[in-house]
Amino acid sequence: MGDHGPGFEPDPDEGSIVARAQDGDLAAFEHLVLTYQYRLFRLAYRMLNDHGEAEDIVQETLTTSWRGLPMLADVDAFGGWIYRLATNKCLDLLRRRSAHAENCIRPEDMDTIAQAGVLAVSAISDPAHEAEWSAEQDGLTAVLNTLPPAQRACWLLREMHGRSYAEIGVTLKISPTAVRGTLARARHQIAEGMSQWR
Amino acid sequence: MALDDIPRLGCGRSIDRIWATTDRPPTAHEEHCEHCQTARTRLQGLREATRLLRESDLHNPALKPRPAIKNAIMGVARAEVRRGSKILLRSADNGTTEITEQALRSLIRFAAAAIPGVHSRRCRVEIRSAAASPAGEDHASATTGTATTAGPRLIVNLRVAAAPGIVIPRTMESLRREISNALPAGVGIGAGTVNITVEDLYDV
Repeated sequence: MGDHGPGFEPDPDEGSIVARAQDGDLAAFEHLVLTYQYRLFRLAYRMLNDHGEAEDIVQETLTTSWRGLPMLADVDAFGGWIYRLATNKCLDLLRRRSAHAENCIRPEDMDTIAQAGVLAVSAISDPAHEAEWSAEQDGLTAVLNTLPPAQRACWLLREMHGRSYAEIGVTLKISPTAVRGTLARARHQIAEGMSQWR
Repeated sequence: MALDDIPRLGCGRSIDRIWATTDRPPTAHEEHCEHCQTARTRLQGLREATRLLRESDLHNPALKPRPAIKNAIMGVARAEVRRGSKILLRSADNGTTEITEQALRSLIRFAAAAIPGVHSRRCRVEIRSAAASPAGEDHASATTGTATTAGPRLIVNLRVAAAPGIVIPRTMESLRREISNALPAGVGIGAGTVNITVEDLYDV
């Protein structure tokens, strides 16, 4: 048994941890929370550019997962499922944000606000901005924020989180081929945007 | 534009193709094509910026939720914890002793952890009370010589993941023995039946 404490052999595989959490094992669930909270936060932060809202997404996603775990058919699908929950919560929030903005803002002001939005989330005001960042990184985060939310999610899930085309397709309700196209367009737009950034 | 359309450069090459080959030397076409050269340079820049952002986000202390978030999640989980049904271990004039299925599972997982090459997964435990068993039903197990006492008995259904390369029948026999010893020692009720399902191999 070694020093790994009661009932926990060294490093059980994730499938076994998920299965135990499905049975209501709090220690196993805590293990999953520790594993996923940072990744989900990074995804939510890059989607929303707001520390507090990103925290809310992490909290809601993992709480929802605790309640939904017993219904998960395949333990190996946990990672994809939790990313899907978080991504969709981010997209819902962004939809609510834009609906709210449309209700409060005169249409003729939209363009100026959209431009101001790009500036507001540019690297300088980004709390995640780090001193040693290159101009390319500043450009990348700034241009990323100008992409439509679903396209941004697609790029983040693939390039920052290494999720599969199939899984991203399920999350965004598009085919894996469409994921490939969306990704190519996102890369194209970001690369173009970055070249105009400096 | 259809969703799966890949953007193309002025020379007809797709962005995807350039992206996939930025780490290789340019082809003869690419060496002389302005569209391709520009796209290659930009996409190489994007690839490097992507890598740097991935690395810096991973280690950036500002990109972490506060510890209060995990505490709040675990608080909800604890408040809504699913401990399964309760099993009556003892009933007498001076009081009853019950145990939750969850506590029994912990005991079983603890026992299973002693067997190398086995990761316990989902576990169901039921009790068969002596009184509820119709006479004769236990005949089969009685003749095999295990758990012949007339008291209540537990039925364990355990799913596990096994390490590749282990001898499954022998390992599962050890696992069954470990669980069958741990239960009477821990809760005073024997496991009449330990059904094990190897549902997966881990680390494959």
